[in-house]
Amino acid sequence: MKIIKNYLFYFLVASLFIACTSDDGFDKDEEKPTISVNYTNGFPQGCTQLTKGQTYSFRAQVTDNKELAAYSLDIHHNFDHHTHDDQVTECDLGAIKSSVNPYLHVENYTITEGLTAYEINISITIPDDVDTGDYHCAYSVTDKTGWQSRTSIDIKIVE
Amino acid sequence: MFYKTLSIWLLCSLYSIAFAQNTSQIKGVVVSENTLTPIAGANIIGKNLLSISSTNGEFVIDHVHTDSCSFEVCCLGYACKTVVVHADDDKNAVKIYLKQASTDLKEVNISAKSKQRKALETPMVSQTVSKDFLDKNRENSLMQTLSKIPGVSTINIGSGQSKPVIRGLGFNRVAVVQNGIKHEAQQWGNDHGLEIDQQGIENIQIIKGPASLLYGSDAIAGVVDIQPNKIPLQHSFKGEVNVLGESNNDLLGISTGIESRKEKWFYRGRFTYRDYADYKVPTNKINYENYIFELHDNNLRNTAGKEIDGSVSVGYVAKNIKSETVFSNVNAKNGFFANAHGLEVRTSKIDYDSSNRDIDLPFHNVNHFKITNNTSLDFGNHTLFFDVGFQNNHREEHTEPTAHGYMPKPSGSKERVFKKNTYSLNVKDSFTLNKKHDVVLGVNMEYQDNNIGGWGFLIPEYDRFTAGVFAYDQFEINSDLHFLAGMRYDFGKVDTKAYYDWYPSTVRNEDNSTSDVYLQRAQNKSLNFGNLSASVGLSYIQNQTSYKLNVGRSFRMPLASELASDGVNYHMYRYERGNLDLDPEVSYQLDVEVDHTTKLFSVGVSPFVNLFDNYIYLNPTPTYFETLQIYEYTQSKVFRIGGEARASVNLYKNLQLTTSVEYVYSRQTSGPKKDFTLPFSPPLSVLFSANYQFKDFLFFKKPQFMADYRITASQEEIVPPEEITDGFQVLNMSFISKMDVFKNENPMDVRVKLNNVFNTKYFNHTSFYRLIDVPEAGRNISLSLTIPF
Repeated sequence: MKIIKNYLFYFLVASLFIACTSDDGFDKDEEKPTISVNYTNGFPQGCTQLTKGQTYSFRAQVTDNKELAAYSLDIHHNFDHHTHDDQVTECDLGAIKSSVNPYLHVENYTITEGLTAYEINISITIPDDVDTGDYHCAYSVTDKTGWQSRTSIDIKIVE
Repeated sequence: MFYKTLSIWLLCSLYSIAFAQNTSQIKGVVVSENTLTPIAGANIIGKNLLSISSTNGEFVIDHVHTDSCSFEVCCLGYACKTVVVHADDDKNAVKIYLKQASTDLKEVNISAKSKQRKALETPMVSQTVSKDFLDKNRENSLMQTLSKIPGVSTINIGSGQSKPVIRGLGFNRVAVVQNGIKHEAQQWGNDHGLEIDQQGIENIQIIKGPASLLYGSDAIAGVVDIQPNKIPLQHSFKGEVNVLGESNNDLLGISTGIESRKEKWFYRGRFTYRDYADYKVPTNKINYENYIFELHDNNLRNTAGKEIDGSVSVGYVAKNIKSETVFSNVNAKNGFFANAHGLEVRTSKIDYDSSNRDIDLPFHNVNHFKITNNTSLDFGNHTLFFDVGFQNNHREEHTEPTAHGYMPKPSGSKERVFKKNTYSLNVKDSFTLNKKHDVVLGVNMEYQDNNIGGWGFLIPEYDRFTAGVFAYDQFEINSDLHFLAGMRYDFGKVDTKAYYDWYPSTVRNEDNSTSDVYLQRAQNKSLNFGNLSASVGLSYIQNQTSYKLNVGRSFRMPLASELASDGVNYHMYRYERGNLDLDPEVSYQLDVEVDHTTKLFSVGVSPFVNLFDNYIYLNPTPTYFETLQIYEYTQSKVFRIGGEARASVNLYKNLQLTTSVEYVYSRQTSGPKKDFTLPFSPPLSVLFSANYQFKDFLFFKKPQFMADYRITASQEEIVPPEEITDGFQVLNMSFISKMDVFKNENPMDVRVKLNNVFNTKYFNHTSFYRLIDVPEAGRNISLSLTIPF
C-alpha cells in the first residue's frame, strides 16, 4: 500500500510538471536582430586605415525576424589597447600611447518602423586635427522587443 | 530513550535559567554509589530549585532562600534520592551517592511544545535548517549550501559569492535577517554577494512566500532568517577549529569558534579566514558573442578571492531577562572575470595568468560591520523583545580606468564606492490570551544613509526611513487546528540627492549647434510610500498528515536604484534609467502545504500561486543613450505558479532515499514584455539523494555516504538579454564521519566531498557569468576537518 501511495505521489507530481512545462503557446519574439559588415559594401572591414580629411560611408547590414528599431555607431580610440574586435582578422596594434585630441563619434539613430532588413549608411568625414593611431568602431542594433546585437571592428586613423 | 533524556535535560536546563535569583548557593557532586564515578546529567529538583550535574558530576544550586532545604536527585539508571541540606552543613561540598537501579524513571510528560510541533501548527509555510544540515551540505557560500532545499536557488558570482533566490525571485525581494535585524548591504546589485560568515550558524528559518507582515518591505518573495545561536549551558566551555581545503579553486579555509558560560554571563567568539585562487571550469575557451577567450589551465581568469571574518558576543541570562550583543565584521576581496567586465569585452596589459592566486583589476572590496543586540524580558504573561542594530556597509569596485563616451580616462581605479549606514530597531510584545490566542504586537524602524563615490555613477546618494506596525494572532481552535491572522502598515520615505557628471558631454541643441554640459544624473527628490500587508492562514494536523493554507498580501518599497538610476552600468554594459513614478510592488500569494510523515517514509507538496500588481522590472528598451542600450525600470503585472514536492523513504535501517522537485512558471501579463517570463527564472529541477550509514569501522564512528544527483531541465523561457540554457545532470558525492582518534569524548568530524564528479560542463541559468557563456565550476574535491576542544 505504501509503495502504491509513493508511486501515485510521483505520478501526480510528474503529471503536474509535465502539464506545466508544455509550450505556453504565446507568440513572443525570441530572436535577436543580426548585424554584419561581412559583405562587399560592408565598411569598415577589419584593420581598415582611414585617412584624415577623407569622407567614408560606414555601412552595415541589419536584419530582424519581426521589426528593427534603432542602431548606434561608436568610434573611439584604443590607444590603451583596452579592447579588441570580433572580426576574423587580427590587426597589428601600434604602441600604447596617451590621447591628446582623439576622434570620437557617439551617435544613435532610429530605423523607420516596420522594417525587417536595413542597410546602415553613415557618412563620416575624419577631421584633420585628430590623433592618429588605433581606433575601435562599434555598431549595435536593437529590435522592437529590446533584443540587441553588436559587432566591433579594429581600425586605424592615419595621416 | 536518548531523545527522552535529551528533552528532559533541555527542558530542565531551560528551567534552571528561568529560576535564577541572587541568594545563597549550594555546591556539590553526584557520584555513583557502586563505582564512585561522577554522574553527569543528574536532575536536582527541589521547591523552586533546579540544577543538573555537569560532566564531572558537579552541580550548583543558586538562590536558596531558606536556611535548610531539601531536594531530590534523580538520574536515569539510578534510584532517586532525597537530600536535606541544613544551615550548618558545608554548602560547598555536598556529596550525593546514587544507587544504580534496574528500573528506568517513570515516563515524564512534557507539556512544552517541540519546535517541530510549533512549526506544524503555524500556518505560515516555512522550513527550518539545522546546523546538522549545514555541516553536512556545506558549500563555498551560505546560499550555495542552502540551494539544496527545494525552492531555494542562488545567483552565483564566481566561486565565493552568491545571493539568495526563493522560487525564482531574488535581489531585494528576499530579506536576509540575522539576529532579528535585516541584513542591509548592496543587495540590489547584480555582482554583490551576501557578506555573512556561514561558519558558526546553527539555525536558519526559510520562508518561501510573502512575509512582509513580519519582516516589512523586501520580504515580498521570502525570508532567510538566520536565528541567534542557542545560549550555552551553565558552566560550560566549548570550542572548535574547522579546517577546509578544496581542489578546484585551491581554497584554504580555517574557522575557529568558542563559547562559554558561567552562570548568567556567556560569551562567544569566532574567526574565519579563507583564501582561494581562480576557479577551474571544464573548458579551455569561452565563446561569447563573436569573441573567443582562451583560458590558461582552465582557470577562470581573476576570480580569486579572500575573506576575513570575525565576531564576538557577550550575553546575560537571568530569571526574566535574556540579552546578547554581537559585534561582527566581514571583509572580502573578490576578483571578477577579466576578459569581460560584465558584458563588456576588455583586453589588458595585466599579466593575469602569472598567478592564479592574485586578485587583479577588476575586483571589489567589501566590508560589513554589524552590531546587534537582542533582549527579551518576561513579565508574567508577556514577553517583550527588543532588537537593536547598527550596520556599516562599505563596498568599492575597482576597474582599470579607460575613457568611455565623453568621459575622459579617470585618474584612478576606484569606479564606484558605496557606503551605507543602517540603524534598526524592532520592538515586539508576545502574549497569550485565554490560553487560546498567541498574540504578537510590534513595531519595526529602520533608517539608512547611503553615500557614493568613485568616477562611475549608477545610483544617487539617498536616505531612507521606514517604519511599520503590525499585529497578528494565532488562534488555537483545537489542539490540531490553528488559525492565524495578521495585519501591518508600513510607511517609508526616500530622499535622493542630486548628482552631476564630473566631465562635460556634448549635447546637440535645438538649433543643431552643440554645447558641452555637465549632465545632471539625479535630482533632489523626496518620495513617500505607504502600504498595507496582511496574511490569513489555517493549519490542520491529522495524525501524521499536516495541512497548511495561507493567503497573504505583501509589498516592497521601490529602491533608490529603481527610482533614480541614471547612468552607465559598465558591469552590464548598458544604460540604466530609473523611474520616479514607480509605485510600491504589491503581491498576493496563495500557499498550500501538505505533509505526511511516518517512520518509514515522508512525502510533501507545497504549491503556490502568486500575482503581482506591479512588479518592478528593468526593461531593455529598443532605444539608445550615447550608443548604449537603455534599460528602463517599468512595472508590469505578473502571474506565477509553481511549487516543490519531496518524498523520502527509509529503505533499510541505514539507507535513506530522498527526491525533491522544484518548478516555477512566471509570465508578465502586461507591459512592454507582456507574455515574457521574468529574468533569472530557475528551470525545473529534480534532486535525488541517497544517504547510507555504515557500521563503525577503525576509528570512524557513524560513517555516512551521501550522493546527490541533480537533473535540471533546459530553460527556454527567457527574456532579453538572456540566452536559452540547456539542461544538465550533475553528481555530487560525500563521505562524512566522526573520527575518534584520540579516544576522548569529543570526536573530530571529517567530511570528504566530491562535487561535479564527472567534470561536466554545464551552465546555470541563474549564474551572473551565464550571460557571458561561462560554465559552472568543474570537479572539486574538498576536505573538511572539525576538531572540537
